[in-house]
Amino acid sequence: MLNVKNLRVLFNTRNGTTVAVEDLSFTLNAGEVLGIVGESGSGKSVACYSLLGLIPMPPGKIESGSAEFLGQDLLKMSETELRAIRGEKISMIFQDPMTSLNPYMRVSDQLIESVLQHKKISKKEARQRAINALNEVGIRDVEARIDDYPHQFSGGMRQRVMIAMALITEPQLLIADEPTTALDVTVQAQILTLIKKLQKSHNLAVIFITHDLGVAAQMADNIIVMEKGKLVEQGTTEQIFKAPAQEYTRKLLSAVLTTSKPTPSLAEQTEPPFLQVKDLKTYFLQFGGALVKRLVHSQKAVDDISFSVSRGEILGIVGESGSGKSTLGRSIMRLVDAQSGKILLEGKNLLKLSASDLKKSRRDFQMIFQDPYASLNPRMTVFDTLAEPLLTHKLATRKNVLEQVNQLMDDVGLDRRFVRKYPHEFSGGQRQRIAIARAIALKPKLIIADEPVSALDVTIRAQILKLLLELTQKHQLTMLFISHDMSVVRYLSDRVLVMQKGKLVEEGETEALFIAPKEAYTQQLLAAIPKI
Amino acid sequence: MHQEIAGIQNLEQGVSLSQDAFRRLKKNKMAMIGLLVLLFFIVIALLTPWIAPYSYEGQNLELGATSPSLKNWLGTDTLGRDQLTRVMYGSRISLAVGFIATAVALLIGVLWGATAGFLGGRVDAIMMRIVDALYALPFTIFIILLTVIFGNSLILLFMAIGAVEWLTMARIVRGQVLTIKKQEFVEAAVSMGLSPWQIISRHLIPNVLGPIIVYTTLTIPSVILLESFLSFLGLGIQPPQSSWGSLISGGVESMEEYPWLLIFPGLVLSITLFSLNFLGDGLRDALDPRASKD
Repeated sequence: MLNVKNLRVLFNTRNGTTVAVEDLSFTLNAGEVLGIVGESGSGKSVACYSLLGLIPMPPGKIESGSAEFLGQDLLKMSETELRAIRGEKISMIFQDPMTSLNPYMRVSDQLIESVLQHKKISKKEARQRAINALNEVGIRDVEARIDDYPHQFSGGMRQRVMIAMALITEPQLLIADEPTTALDVTVQAQILTLIKKLQKSHNLAVIFITHDLGVAAQMADNIIVMEKGKLVEQGTTEQIFKAPAQEYTRKLLSAVLTTSKPTPSLAEQTEPPFLQVKDLKTYFLQFGGALVKRLVHSQKAVDDISFSVSRGEILGIVGESGSGKSTLGRSIMRLVDAQSGKILLEGKNLLKLSASDLKKSRRDFQMIFQDPYASLNPRMTVFDTLAEPLLTHKLATRKNVLEQVNQLMDDVGLDRRFVRKYPHEFSGGQRQRIAIARAIALKPKLIIADEPVSALDVTIRAQILKLLLELTQKHQLTMLFISHDMSVVRYLSDRVLVMQKGKLVEEGETEALFIAPKEAYTQQLLAAIPKI
Repeated sequence: MHQEIAGIQNLEQGVSLSQDAFRRLKKNKMAMIGLLVLLFFIVIALLTPWIAPYSYEGQNLELGATSPSLKNWLGTDTLGRDQLTRVMYGSRISLAVGFIATAVALLIGVLWGATAGFLGGRVDAIMMRIVDALYALPFTIFIILLTVIFGNSLILLFMAIGAVEWLTMARIVRGQVLTIKKQEFVEAAVSMGLSPWQIISRHLIPNVLGPIIVYTTLTIPSVILLESFLSFLGLGIQPPQSSWGSLISGGVESMEEYPWLLIFPGLVLSITLFSLNFLGDGLRDALDPRASKD
């Protein structure tokens, strides 16, 4: 049905020409699901977008190749011809269901618009089709909800609406670009099942772009592995996973964490415990009223949570978005104010410190953030970023600070020569190393890592996790490791807390909890992990 | 790959942001031309009392308005005063007003806006209500009041202009700071135990430099024109002293008979404005390490 031959896509930038896709060929039959797997920058999205003329040109340029779709070459079509194909014969689902739906248009109008664009039917019929499509993707109570706006739906429901919109014109080919990456793991499982079901019932051909090998294994019949614009390996899903032929594929597979923590727990029991959180409540209160304040809305982000952590222990905190796990971390960091409760770090209540004591105590607990692109000041060199905490807390003087900064660079495995560079000159993984170096600069006792590897590619992720393990051992750190990714938590933590809607659901030793989860919610979370 | 190597070479020299920025600025031709033109105007303005061809108050009523000639390069005005001399003396006032009043506005506005935005909550609300209140004050009445009470002086002129211009700057900076302070590097700075002042000066202000610079380059010419309005109201300079603004508004009146009285001061002001814009754009790019790769 689709036959792509020798596709080559270039991007002309100020710094010269980058080859985004190099000599890519593949075929796709009706009713087949093709997984395209690769890390960021591998050209997997660009390849598919260029087929539909959806890459910006210039700077993009399709240099050579052909893409025969039902006997016509997509790459030779004019924009008008392509527009007739897009949406009607070939539909797309994007990663972020919030930004790909127009927030100012009712869902019904958006669905009807895309039908009327391609089919000559009346508005009433179109509406009926929209209702059918929404029913099919599992939206409950469609008649009542069809006229809602996108923000009134949850993330998973919005992605269902997107799928309905993609399928309403009865296309023959569906291109799904990371359709579940922005979703929680339990929702991801539902959406994947839905796509699979619709694919079967409509006999759709699907190109499924993903960075997640587990998802690819679950969805695809055949898989293409891409690296730096080139096709590395191609084969049936079973071949790729059972007998990968290429070094890079093996590297990708080995980066998928299926193992438990490789090092023994260094937890050391003390009395009182190293960190004790008691009855912690963090509510977000929203006030309204022009003259007299009144409470409009309160969200119980952290609702009465107690736990303790031993010195040297790595405690994993898992939960889906909205579970309050990040707010818990931020409350302990004193980045948000807790309503009530106690946070005792070595017996000292962090919630009762005066402003100046807090400032001094802050060197004892540091945080590693999720997004290495946002967590470093773009206008400060690595040296300035790392020297700042040292100078602020007078752990170094201007004269000997370079020595300590170099030491930190060594610790996190970065080349000392890069110390005068700016953050944007580094890759995501290197930036996260800088952020880690900043967190350990003050020799803190406690590190709170909030999804530190979620924004990273899978091979980089494994390296950063190893680094974190090494550092906790070397510097005898205690760590709270917050993540939505169960496999990452299993690899890193000694003990796990499971959170849901601000409450503590379950707590236990990592292996025991993964093998025999007690609570229904934990079981559900574990069942939702895509298996290879 | 050679990018990488070039990077290593320059980092071994250990450049600071300002050195780095100047190096990048030098590569931007338009910005450098702008900078040179401005420097040229400033030098001329400073040297005017010694190099001006005539005295600024010397009238020659019999001569009257004449078009540009070898004797009077830019012609003379209706009172027979040399136009070149008047433009040169005018640049002293205009540039001084432009730069000093803008600097005042910049200083107050940036600090006010950044503080309000970063501290947030009640402090922010109070600080911004003060800005709103000052905005609401009718400017003309405010100026007339000042003149009545304090009389006419240049210092007062700077103050009056500074007092209005910083309001917009404060609002712009506050808005920018509100978006930047939610980024994780600011939270990281908080959790490192930095003081609010350290966070504002090292992490927030450098990251809002772009809009600040652009707005500054827009403020300078508007301040230069504002001066002529204030002079018209009786605050600021009075004839026979001149400024670009007053020369232009004088030139407008006799535009049809003696166009050179409008064209030359207008031209000088436009060139200044263009130079400022090019320099501003260049500075904005030069100060952002992400903007250019070399």
